[in-house]
Amino acid sequence: MSSLFRQMVWDGTVPLAIKLAPSSLPSSSDRMLDTYFIQAPRISYLPLLIPEIRQNLCDLVLDEATAAALREEDWWFETEKDNVLKWHWPIGLLYDAHFTTMSASESCFLPSASSLSPPMPITLYLSNPPADKLLLTPSVESLKSSFMSQCKEADFLRWGSTRRMTGLRKTEQDGLWDAIREHNYDNFWKIGSKILPNPNPPSPLLNSSPPTPNPDGTGAATTTNDAYAVRSIPLRLFLPNAPVIQDLCSPVTQNGVHTTLGDLLSASFPLLFSKGANIQNTSISGAYAVVQGMEPPLETEVGWLGASLAGADGWVNVCVGLRA
Amino acid sequence: MALLPIDDSTPPVGPTPSIASSGTPGVAGALEAYRQKDMTKVRFKAIGNAPIMRQNYYRITASNRFQAVIQFLRKELGWKAADPLFTYINSAFSPTPDDTVANLYKCFATEGHLIVNYSSTAAWG
Repeated sequence: MSSLFRQMVWDGTVPLAIKLAPSSLPSSSDRMLDTYFIQAPRISYLPLLIPEIRQNLCDLVLDEATAAALREEDWWFETEKDNVLKWHWPIGLLYDAHFTTMSASESCFLPSASSLSPPMPITLYLSNPPADKLLLTPSVESLKSSFMSQCKEADFLRWGSTRRMTGLRKTEQDGLWDAIREHNYDNFWKIGSKILPNPNPPSPLLNSSPPTPNPDGTGAATTTNDAYAVRSIPLRLFLPNAPVIQDLCSPVTQNGVHTTLGDLLSASFPLLFSKGANIQNTSISGAYAVVQGMEPPLETEVGWLGASLAGADGWVNVCVGLRA
Repeated sequence: MALLPIDDSTPPVGPTPSIASSGTPGVAGALEAYRQKDMTKVRFKAIGNAPIMRQNYYRITASNRFQAVIQFLRKELGWKAADPLFTYINSAFSPTPDDTVANLYKCFATEGHLIVNYSSTAAWG
Protein backbone atom coordinates (compact mmCIF):
# COMPACT_ATOMS: atom_id res chain seq x y z
CA MET A 1 0.00 0.00 0.00
CA SER A 2 2.74 2.43 1.01
CA SER A 3 4.87 1.95 -2.04
CA LEU A 4 1.75 1.96 -4.22
CA PHE A 5 1.26 5.69 -3.66
CA ARG A 6 4.95 6.41 -4.03
CA GLN A 7 4.89 4.53 -7.30
CA MET A 8 1.79 6.43 -8.42
CA VAL A 9 3.39 9.79 -7.64
CA TRP A 10 6.53 8.72 -9.45
CA ASP A 11 4.61 7.50 -12.48
CA GLY A 12 2.21 10.47 -12.55
CA THR A 13 2.41 12.55 -15.70
CA VAL A 14 0.75 15.71 -16.95
CA PRO A 15 0.09 16.83 -20.54
CA LEU A 16 1.82 20.00 -21.67
CA ALA A 17 1.30 21.87 -24.95
CA ILE A 18 4.50 23.76 -25.62
CA LYS A 19 4.30 26.50 -28.23
CA LEU A 20 7.13 28.66 -29.47
CA ALA A 21 6.58 32.37 -28.85
CA PRO A 22 5.95 34.09 -32.22
CA SER A 23 8.43 36.77 -31.18
CA SER A 24 11.11 34.08 -30.96
CA LEU A 25 10.56 32.92 -34.54
CA PRO A 26 12.51 34.40 -37.42
CA SER A 27 10.68 34.75 -40.74
CA SER A 28 12.44 31.67 -42.08
CA SER A 29 10.64 29.41 -39.57
CA ASP A 30 8.13 26.76 -40.47
CA ARG A 31 5.13 28.20 -38.66
CA MET A 32 2.82 25.34 -39.60
CA LEU A 33 4.36 23.32 -36.84
CA ASP A 34 4.58 25.34 -33.70
CA THR A 35 3.22 23.27 -30.83
CA TYR A 36 4.75 20.20 -29.23
CA PHE A 37 2.65 18.02 -26.95
CA ILE A 38 4.44 16.16 -24.23
CA GLN A 39 3.34 13.93 -21.37
CA ALA A 40 5.81 14.98 -18.68
CA PRO A 41 6.53 13.31 -15.31
CA ARG A 42 5.08 15.26 -12.38
CA ILE A 43 8.28 14.95 -10.38
CA SER A 44 10.47 16.26 -13.22
CA TYR A 45 11.40 19.86 -14.06
CA LEU A 46 11.06 21.99 -17.19
CA PRO A 47 14.81 22.34 -17.83
CA LEU A 48 15.07 18.54 -17.99
CA LEU A 49 12.65 18.57 -20.93
CA ILE A 50 14.74 20.98 -22.96
CA PRO A 51 16.70 18.40 -24.99
CA GLU A 52 13.46 16.71 -26.07
CA ILE A 53 11.75 20.02 -26.88
CA ARG A 54 14.76 21.14 -28.84
CA GLN A 55 14.87 17.98 -30.91
CA ASN A 56 11.14 17.69 -31.57
CA LEU A 57 10.14 21.31 -31.85
CA CYS A 58 12.90 23.87 -32.24
CA ASP A 59 15.04 21.89 -34.67
CA LEU A 60 11.99 21.33 -36.90
CA VAL A 61 10.52 24.82 -36.79
CA LEU A 62 13.68 26.86 -37.02
CA ASP A 63 16.03 26.93 -39.97
CA GLU A 64 19.28 25.10 -39.41
CA ALA A 65 21.46 28.15 -38.72
CA THR A 66 19.04 29.62 -36.18
CA ALA A 67 18.59 26.28 -34.45
CA ALA A 68 22.33 25.78 -34.20
CA ALA A 69 22.79 29.22 -32.62
CA LEU A 70 20.22 28.63 -29.84
CA ARG A 71 21.44 29.08 -26.30
CA GLU A 72 19.42 26.84 -24.01
CA GLU A 73 20.38 28.88 -20.95
CA ASP A 74 18.34 31.74 -22.44
CA TRP A 75 15.14 29.70 -22.69
CA TRP A 76 12.21 30.42 -20.44
CA PHE A 77 8.59 29.38 -20.17
CA GLU A 78 5.38 31.29 -19.62
CA THR A 79 1.70 30.42 -19.23
CA GLU A 80 -0.80 31.97 -21.61
CA LYS A 81 -1.65 34.44 -18.83
CA ASP A 82 1.88 35.88 -19.02
CA ASN A 83 2.99 34.23 -15.80
CA VAL A 84 6.64 33.27 -15.98
CA LEU A 85 6.91 29.61 -14.97
CA LYS A 86 9.28 28.83 -12.15
CA TRP A 87 11.65 26.28 -13.59
CA HIS A 88 12.65 25.11 -10.10
CA TRP A 89 9.10 23.98 -9.29
CA PRO A 90 8.25 20.35 -10.10
CA ILE A 91 6.17 20.11 -13.28
CA GLY A 92 3.25 18.53 -11.42
CA LEU A 93 3.10 21.56 -9.14
CA LEU A 94 3.22 23.98 -12.09
CA TYR A 95 0.31 22.07 -13.60
CA ASP A 96 -1.82 21.90 -10.45
CA ALA A 97 -1.12 25.55 -9.55
CA HIS A 98 -2.02 26.64 -13.08
CA PHE A 99 -5.40 24.93 -13.14
CA THR A 100 -6.37 25.83 -9.57
CA THR A 101 -5.47 29.45 -10.34
CA MET A 102 -7.57 29.30 -13.50
CA SER A 103 -10.44 27.93 -11.42
CA ALA A 104 -10.44 31.14 -9.37
CA SER A 105 -10.68 33.43 -12.39
CA GLU A 106 -14.23 34.02 -13.51
CA SER A 107 -13.85 33.80 -17.24
CA CYS A 108 -12.65 30.27 -17.15
CA PHE A 109 -14.05 27.02 -18.37
CA LEU A 110 -12.97 24.08 -16.36
CA PRO A 111 -13.60 20.54 -17.40
CA SER A 112 -15.40 18.53 -14.78
CA ALA A 113 -13.28 16.46 -12.46
CA SER A 114 -14.17 13.28 -14.27
CA SER A 115 -12.90 14.30 -17.70
CA LEU A 116 -9.36 13.81 -18.91
CA SER A 117 -6.67 16.24 -17.78
CA PRO A 118 -6.41 19.08 -20.30
CA PRO A 119 -2.97 19.98 -21.62
CA MET A 120 -1.41 22.98 -19.95
CA PRO A 121 -0.56 25.61 -22.55
CA ILE A 122 3.01 26.82 -22.21
CA THR A 123 4.81 29.38 -24.34
CA LEU A 124 8.53 28.88 -24.83
CA TYR A 125 10.73 31.93 -25.40
CA LEU A 126 14.18 31.38 -26.80
CA SER A 127 15.88 34.59 -25.66
CA ASN A 128 15.90 37.49 -23.20
CA PRO A 129 15.07 35.62 -19.99
CA PRO A 130 13.55 37.91 -17.31
CA ALA A 131 16.21 37.40 -14.64
CA ASP A 132 14.20 39.27 -12.01
CA LYS A 133 11.36 36.77 -12.26
CA LEU A 134 13.34 33.58 -12.78
CA LEU A 135 15.62 34.43 -9.82
CA LEU A 136 18.14 31.72 -10.63
CA THR A 137 19.99 30.81 -13.79
CA PRO A 138 17.93 28.03 -15.35
CA SER A 139 20.81 25.62 -15.86
CA VAL A 140 20.58 21.94 -15.00
CA GLU A 141 23.40 22.48 -12.51
CA SER A 142 21.55 25.18 -10.56
CA LEU A 143 18.40 23.09 -10.80
CA LYS A 144 20.23 20.26 -9.09
CA SER A 145 21.47 22.50 -6.29
CA SER A 146 17.99 23.96 -5.87
CA PHE A 147 16.59 20.42 -5.62
CA MET A 148 19.19 19.49 -3.00
CA SER A 149 18.37 22.63 -1.00
CA GLN A 150 14.69 21.75 -1.07
CA CYS A 151 15.52 18.24 0.18
CA LYS A 152 17.55 19.74 3.03
CA GLU A 153 14.86 22.25 3.96
CA ALA A 154 12.33 19.41 4.07
CA ASP A 155 14.76 17.33 6.15
CA PHE A 156 15.14 20.19 8.63
CA LEU A 157 11.37 20.53 8.97
CA ARG A 158 10.89 16.79 9.47
CA TRP A 159 13.65 16.00 11.89
CA GLY A 160 14.92 19.34 13.22
CA SER A 161 18.27 19.06 11.46
CA THR A 162 19.63 18.17 8.05
CA ARG A 163 21.54 15.18 9.40
CA ARG A 164 19.76 12.62 7.27
CA MET A 165 20.60 14.51 4.08
CA THR A 166 24.14 15.43 5.09
CA GLY A 167 24.61 11.87 6.35
CA LEU A 168 24.24 10.58 2.81
CA ARG A 169 27.43 9.90 0.92
CA LYS A 170 28.16 12.23 -1.99
CA THR A 171 27.42 9.42 -4.43
CA GLU A 172 24.05 8.88 -2.75
CA GLN A 173 23.15 12.58 -2.91
CA ASP A 174 24.08 12.64 -6.59
CA GLY A 175 22.17 9.39 -6.99
CA LEU A 176 18.93 11.05 -5.89
CA TRP A 177 19.25 13.64 -8.61
CA ASP A 178 20.43 11.20 -11.26
CA ALA A 179 17.41 8.99 -10.51
CA ILE A 180 15.12 11.96 -11.23
CA ARG A 181 16.90 12.76 -14.47
CA GLU A 182 16.73 9.15 -15.54
CA HIS A 183 13.30 8.69 -14.02
CA ASN A 184 14.39 5.56 -12.20
CA TYR A 185 12.04 4.73 -9.30
CA ASP A 186 14.12 1.93 -7.79
CA ASN A 187 17.34 3.92 -7.80
CA PHE A 188 15.59 6.86 -6.21
CA TRP A 189 13.87 5.00 -3.39
CA LYS A 190 16.94 2.94 -2.55
CA ILE A 191 18.33 6.24 -1.25
CA GLY A 192 15.09 8.15 -0.67
CA SER A 193 13.88 5.67 1.95
CA LYS A 194 16.84 6.72 4.13
CA ILE A 195 15.52 10.29 4.28
CA LEU A 196 11.76 10.11 3.88
CA PRO A 197 9.49 8.72 6.57
CA ASN A 198 7.90 5.33 6.23
CA PRO A 199 4.32 5.66 5.02
CA ASN A 200 3.05 2.55 6.74
CA PRO A 201 0.29 3.61 9.11
CA PRO A 202 1.14 3.14 12.78
CA SER A 203 -0.74 0.34 14.45
CA PRO A 204 -3.43 1.99 16.54
CA LEU A 205 -3.39 1.52 20.31
CA LEU A 206 -0.09 -0.31 20.09
CA ASN A 207 1.94 2.75 20.90
CA SER A 208 2.17 2.79 24.64
CA SER A 209 4.96 5.30 24.23
CA PRO A 210 4.14 7.19 21.05
CA PRO A 211 7.16 8.49 19.17
CA THR A 212 6.52 12.12 19.98
CA PRO A 213 8.61 14.63 18.11
CA ASN A 214 11.47 16.15 20.01
CA PRO A 215 10.04 19.41 21.39
CA ASP A 216 13.22 21.44 21.65
CA GLY A 217 14.75 22.84 18.51
CA THR A 218 18.09 21.12 18.75
CA GLY A 219 17.29 18.09 16.66
CA ALA A 220 18.34 15.21 18.83
CA ALA A 221 18.98 12.19 16.67
CA THR A 222 15.60 10.66 15.94
CA THR A 223 15.95 7.10 14.94
CA THR A 224 12.34 6.30 14.26
CA ASN A 225 11.20 6.61 10.70
CA ASP A 226 7.51 6.72 11.39
CA ALA A 227 5.42 9.11 9.30
CA TYR A 228 3.79 10.42 12.47
CA ALA A 229 7.07 10.89 14.33
CA VAL A 230 8.23 13.84 12.24
CA ARG A 231 8.24 17.26 13.90
CA SER A 232 6.58 18.90 10.95
CA ILE A 233 5.41 17.90 7.48
CA PRO A 234 7.19 19.82 4.72
CA LEU A 235 4.03 21.23 3.21
CA ARG A 236 3.21 24.30 1.16
CA LEU A 237 -0.20 25.80 0.47
CA PHE A 238 -0.79 27.47 -2.89
CA LEU A 239 -3.65 29.92 -3.22
CA PRO A 240 -4.57 31.44 -6.59
CA ASN A 241 -2.54 34.61 -7.22
CA ALA A 242 -1.19 34.82 -3.68
CA PRO A 243 2.17 34.17 -2.04
CA VAL A 244 2.86 30.57 -1.13
CA ILE A 245 2.11 29.72 2.50
CA GLN A 246 4.34 27.49 4.56
CA ASP A 247 4.09 26.91 8.29
CA LEU A 248 4.94 24.30 10.86
CA CYS A 249 2.56 21.41 10.43
CA SER A 250 2.69 18.72 13.07
CA PRO A 251 1.21 15.32 12.15
CA VAL A 252 -0.18 14.92 15.68
CA THR A 253 -1.98 17.57 17.73
CA GLN A 254 -1.19 18.29 21.38
CA ASN A 255 -4.10 16.03 22.29
CA GLY A 256 -2.51 13.17 20.44
CA VAL A 257 -4.98 13.26 17.56
CA HIS A 258 -3.73 12.94 14.00
CA THR A 259 -3.95 16.24 12.11
CA THR A 260 -6.04 16.05 8.95
CA LEU A 261 -5.86 18.02 5.73
CA GLY A 262 -9.22 19.55 6.67
CA ASP A 263 -7.83 20.67 10.07
CA LEU A 264 -4.94 22.32 8.30
CA LEU A 265 -7.07 24.04 5.66
CA SER A 266 -9.72 25.25 8.10
CA ALA A 267 -7.00 26.60 10.40
CA SER A 268 -5.19 28.34 7.54
CA PHE A 269 -8.19 29.53 5.52
CA PRO A 270 -11.28 29.58 7.77
CA LEU A 271 -13.19 31.62 5.18
CA LEU A 272 -12.71 28.90 2.57
CA PHE A 273 -12.77 25.74 4.68
CA SER A 274 -14.84 25.54 7.83
CA LYS A 275 -14.42 23.10 10.64
CA GLY A 276 -17.63 21.16 10.77
CA ALA A 277 -19.59 20.50 13.93
CA ASN A 278 -18.65 16.85 13.66
CA ILE A 279 -15.32 15.39 12.80
CA GLN A 280 -15.94 16.19 9.16
CA ASN A 281 -14.46 19.34 7.81
CA THR A 282 -16.33 20.98 5.02
CA SER A 283 -15.40 23.22 2.19
CA ILE A 284 -17.42 26.38 1.70
CA SER A 285 -17.74 28.46 -1.43
CA GLY A 286 -16.66 25.49 -3.53
CA ALA A 287 -13.06 25.57 -2.37
CA TYR A 288 -11.13 22.38 -2.98
CA ALA A 289 -7.57 21.14 -2.48
CA VAL A 290 -5.39 19.27 -4.96
CA VAL A 291 -2.33 17.18 -4.11
CA GLN A 292 -0.44 15.49 -6.95
CA GLY A 293 -3.42 16.09 -9.24
CA MET A 294 -5.85 14.37 -6.89
CA GLU A 295 -8.41 15.74 -4.47
CA PRO A 296 -7.71 13.86 -1.26
CA PRO A 297 -10.64 13.62 1.19
CA LEU A 298 -10.37 16.36 3.81
CA GLU A 299 -10.06 13.71 6.50
CA THR A 300 -6.76 12.53 5.01
CA GLU A 301 -4.08 12.71 7.68
CA VAL A 302 -1.22 15.10 6.92
CA GLY A 303 1.30 12.62 8.33
CA TRP A 304 0.22 10.16 5.69
CA LEU A 305 0.37 12.85 2.98
CA GLY A 306 3.95 13.66 4.01
CA ALA A 307 5.03 10.07 3.60
CA SER A 308 2.94 9.02 0.61
CA LEU A 309 2.13 12.01 -1.62
CA ALA A 310 5.26 14.09 -1.19
CA GLY A 311 7.23 14.84 -4.33
CA ALA A 312 10.77 13.61 -4.87
CA ASP A 313 12.05 16.69 -3.00
CA GLY A 314 10.03 15.59 0.04
CA TRP A 315 7.47 18.41 -0.16
CA VAL A 316 3.70 18.07 -0.14
CA ASN A 317 2.22 20.76 -2.38
CA VAL A 318 -1.43 21.55 -1.72
CA CYS A 319 -3.09 23.76 -4.35
CA VAL A 320 -6.39 25.36 -3.42
CA GLY A 321 -8.92 26.01 -6.18
CA LEU A 322 -12.47 27.30 -6.34
CA ARG A 323 -15.34 25.53 -8.01
CA ALA A 324 -18.02 27.72 -9.50
CA MET B 1 14.17 48.63 0.50
CA ALA B 2 12.07 47.33 3.32
CA LEU B 3 14.84 46.31 5.69
CA LEU B 4 15.20 48.56 8.71
CA PRO B 5 17.79 48.37 11.46
CA ILE B 6 16.09 47.29 14.65
CA ASP B 7 15.50 49.88 17.32
CA ASP B 8 13.46 48.08 19.92
CA SER B 9 11.84 51.28 21.16
CA THR B 10 9.80 51.55 17.97
CA PRO B 11 6.55 49.65 17.95
CA PRO B 12 6.25 46.85 15.42
CA VAL B 13 5.02 48.10 12.09
CA GLY B 14 1.93 46.86 10.32
CA PRO B 15 -0.03 44.41 12.43
CA THR B 16 -1.54 41.43 10.66
CA PRO B 17 -4.89 42.54 9.28
CA SER B 18 -7.65 40.70 11.01
CA ILE B 19 -9.90 38.68 8.78
CA ALA B 20 -13.01 40.28 10.28
CA SER B 21 -11.88 43.77 9.33
CA SER B 22 -11.51 42.89 5.66
CA GLY B 23 -14.11 44.97 3.90
CA THR B 24 -14.27 42.93 0.71
CA PRO B 25 -17.00 40.34 0.93
CA GLY B 26 -17.07 36.93 -0.64
CA VAL B 27 -14.36 34.69 -1.92
CA ALA B 28 -12.18 37.45 -3.34
CA GLY B 29 -12.20 39.04 0.09
CA ALA B 30 -11.29 35.73 1.65
CA LEU B 31 -8.28 35.42 -0.62
CA GLU B 32 -7.24 39.02 0.07
CA ALA B 33 -7.41 38.49 3.82
CA TYR B 34 -4.71 35.85 3.62
CA ARG B 35 -2.21 38.09 1.86
CA GLN B 36 -0.13 38.84 4.89
CA LYS B 37 1.71 42.00 5.81
CA ASP B 38 3.75 42.34 8.97
CA MET B 39 7.32 42.58 10.14
CA THR B 40 9.83 39.99 11.29
CA LYS B 41 13.33 40.22 12.72
CA VAL B 42 16.30 38.91 10.82
CA ARG B 43 19.76 38.30 12.24
CA PHE B 44 22.75 38.05 9.89
CA LYS B 45 25.78 35.92 10.69
CA ALA B 46 28.92 35.93 8.56
CA ILE B 47 30.60 32.61 7.81
CA GLY B 48 34.18 32.00 6.78
CA ASN B 49 35.85 35.00 5.21
CA ALA B 50 32.68 36.99 4.67
CA PRO B 51 32.95 40.49 6.16
CA ILE B 52 30.94 41.26 9.28
CA MET B 53 28.20 43.87 8.95
CA ARG B 54 28.05 47.01 11.06
CA GLN B 55 24.62 45.98 12.21
CA ASN B 56 23.40 42.39 12.42
CA TYR B 57 19.76 42.76 13.38
CA TYR B 58 17.17 44.06 10.95
CA ARG B 59 13.44 44.29 10.67
CA ILE B 60 11.94 43.23 7.35
CA THR B 61 8.44 43.20 5.92
CA ALA B 62 7.38 39.58 6.24
CA SER B 63 5.75 39.49 2.83
CA ASN B 64 9.10 40.15 1.14
CA ARG B 65 10.65 37.30 -0.73
CA PHE B 66 13.98 35.97 0.45
CA GLN B 67 15.38 37.49 -2.75
CA ALA B 68 14.95 40.92 -1.08
CA VAL B 69 17.16 39.76 1.78
CA ILE B 70 19.82 38.60 -0.67
CA GLN B 71 19.69 41.91 -2.55
CA PHE B 72 19.90 43.84 0.71
CA LEU B 73 22.95 41.83 1.80
CA ARG B 74 24.69 42.51 -1.51
CA LYS B 75 24.06 46.21 -1.13
CA GLU B 76 25.23 46.35 2.48
CA LEU B 77 28.36 44.35 1.69
CA GLY B 78 28.97 46.37 -1.45
CA TRP B 79 29.18 43.16 -3.51
CA LYS B 80 28.52 43.19 -7.22
CA ALA B 81 25.94 40.93 -8.85
CA ALA B 82 28.72 38.68 -10.14
CA ASP B 83 30.35 38.19 -6.72
CA PRO B 84 29.29 34.84 -5.30
CA LEU B 85 27.04 35.12 -2.25
CA PHE B 86 25.69 32.05 -0.48
CA THR B 87 22.90 32.35 2.07
CA TYR B 88 21.65 29.77 4.54
CA ILE B 89 19.04 29.45 7.25
CA ASN B 90 20.15 28.05 10.63
CA SER B 91 23.51 26.95 9.19
CA ALA B 92 21.64 24.18 7.42
CA PHE B 93 20.10 24.90 4.02
CA SER B 94 19.58 27.55 1.35
CA PRO B 95 15.99 28.69 0.93
CA THR B 96 14.74 29.35 -2.58
CA PRO B 97 14.78 33.08 -3.34
CA ASP B 98 11.02 33.08 -3.83
CA ASP B 99 10.23 31.78 -0.34
CA THR B 100 8.68 34.61 1.66
CA VAL B 101 10.41 35.82 4.79
CA ALA B 102 7.14 35.21 6.65
CA ASN B 103 7.18 31.50 5.78
CA LEU B 104 10.82 31.07 6.70
CA TYR B 105 10.28 32.94 9.95
CA LYS B 106 7.28 30.81 10.92
CA CYS B 107 9.14 27.58 10.26
CA PHE B 108 12.71 28.32 11.25
CA ALA B 109 12.91 31.34 13.61
CA THR B 110 15.22 30.88 16.59
CA GLU B 111 14.56 33.02 19.68
CA GLY B 112 12.42 35.43 17.73
CA HIS B 113 14.87 35.88 14.87
CA LEU B 114 15.33 34.36 11.46
CA ILE B 115 19.03 33.55 11.38
CA VAL B 116 20.58 34.11 7.96
CA ASN B 117 24.16 32.92 7.45
CA TYR B 118 26.07 34.42 4.54
CA SER B 119 29.30 33.43 2.89
CA SER B 120 31.36 34.03 -0.21
CA THR B 121 31.90 30.30 -0.65
CA ALA B 122 29.54 27.32 -0.48
CA ALA B 123 29.28 26.24 3.15
CA TRP B 124 26.49 23.73 3.56
CA GLY B 125 26.02 22.79 -0.09
